Amino acid sequence: MPVLEAEHVAKTYFGRRGEVRALDDVSLSIDKGRLFAFLGRNGAGKTTFIKIAATLLLPTAGVVRLFGEDVVRSPRAVRPHIAVVPQEGRPFFHLTPREHVEEYLRTRGASRESAVARSDEILHAMGLGPFADEPAFRLSGGVQQRTLVAMILATRAPFLFLDEPTLGMDPFARRQVWEVIRAATRGGSTVLLTTHYLDEAEQLSEELAVIEGGKLLYRGAAEQLKAKVGREVRLQFAGGFEDAELAPYGRVLHERDRTTLLTTRRAAAELTDRALGRGIAVSVGPVTLEEAFLELVGRGIEEDE
Amino acid sequence: MTARTQLNAAWRICYFNGLVPLGRQPLLTAAVFLTPFSFLFFLYVIAKPEFFPYGVVGGVLFTSLFTGNGMLNDCAYLRLERQLQPIFVASPVRPIAYLLGMALSELAFTIPALGLFLGILQLVHPLSAFSFLALLGVALVTWLMSTTLGFLISTFFRQLREIWPIGTLTFSTLSVLPPVFYPLSIIHAPYRWIAFLAPSTYSAVLADRAVGLSGAPDIAPGFLSDPFVELGVLVAITLLFALAAVYLARWREP
Repeated sequence: MPVLEAEHVAKTYFGRRGEVRALDDVSLSIDKGRLFAFLGRNGAGKTTFIKIAATLLLPTAGVVRLFGEDVVRSPRAVRPHIAVVPQEGRPFFHLTPREHVEEYLRTRGASRESAVARSDEILHAMGLGPFADEPAFRLSGGVQQRTLVAMILATRAPFLFLDEPTLGMDPFARRQVWEVIRAATRGGSTVLLTTHYLDEAEQLSEELAVIEGGKLLYRGAAEQLKAKVGREVRLQFAGGFEDAELAPYGRVLHERDRTTLLTTRRAAAELTDRALGRGIAVSVGPVTLEEAFLELVGRGIEEDE
Repeated sequence: MTARTQLNAAWRICYFNGLVPLGRQPLLTAAVFLTPFSFLFFLYVIAKPEFFPYGVVGGVLFTSLFTGNGMLNDCAYLRLERQLQPIFVASPVRPIAYLLGMALSELAFTIPALGLFLGILQLVHPLSAFSFLALLGVALVTWLMSTTLGFLISTFFRQLREIWPIGTLTFSTLSVLPPVFYPLSIIHAPYRWIAFLAPSTYSAVLADRAVGLSGAPDIAPGFLSDPFVELGVLVAITLLFALAAVYLARWREP
């Protein structure tokens, strides 16, 4: 059953340099208890969508309903059920992580006892115990970000908007946050997440959407995205092939001194034989979500150009 | 959330945005009284001694008025730079609770400065209990007026660099040019009406009257020389700003 339903959502910013269409006819729905990831390049429209759905921004057109309530017409009915980690937020200068969590919960109406208990629980789960009583200005950027995420996840709000929640965190901290996000969905919360870490989206999300230039390019599971782009296999060569020879078989990418080709199984078999025949080292593996994303968005950009 | 839980939310915001930073960095209060105290010192050095009590009352009002500048700066900073206001927008906290909490936290910073000016006033111009309470009442209405204005303006900023010039211009215009630090009688009678275009003039005239400094009752032009009219106008302006802050402020981005 969908808890979020967006229909033909559009947002145009009007500035001195003319109009910027940040969202263009975006429609999607998210079921209760799902973890939905929004992927896209910088400026693709992810944050704009989150801001509209989280009652922070008015759309130019379209409707977003959360728990059946229109976020534009009835924001007061929606707000008690949501919490949002804003992009690139920073905590209050003088407050400790413990105070952030406790005070935010109490501001939202929690009792002192439940705020204290929940704060202990979330700070421990997110590895913030050693920093719990240090003022934010003494904390590293990653710990400050974890503090903000802890504030929001502590609410157990039925719908959580997480806009790049693990930005600037080390790999250990990211995994701790993932575990708390998973626990939130197990507890019945629905999560809408944006991230530039494609491994994060692959690890966490049950469903994802790719947005480019304000338009929804894809919606479905990560595995289906790989199938959709028609490139299932990644071949890597250390030289020996010209781009012109590889281009008909798929997308050619260059990373340092290696050439990567995203291609089909059949072409991979043919090219592997050819490479071995020429004595060229070749490595074969499945296409990652990041590569499928690059392929999909890359096509969109090429079509626009 | 009920009205009671909204009031509790306002109190929590005052606690963590005002009282906690105040307790951890008391020097922050110096920033609040430095400017009005400098004006007062300047008056003490160059003005006639009989103007000094006006300067002290001016210090009380300036401190109240500049909570609006603090409000404008803090709200815009928390929204644009720290992205913290959106966390409260996307929550059960209503804008009026956020506004009240932020305004109370600004008031917390001014209490030491207000205490200092009231103490000096008691030394140079002893007040009756009624005068003291009346002055405090005017200072509180002035605080409410300026903080609601500060919040309203803060919601229209799109960039941090807009904050400083607009905040300083607005609140300096309200607190330095009108007769806050000097008696209204200094302005030539035909031009006094101009001073009454600034809401802070009503605060100043009422405060001076409350402590017995206003001089002749007809010092203000026309019907404005009635203190009840002055009080009515001040309260009406404050209500207008408060309503504008609640209904016109951009709690959600357009």
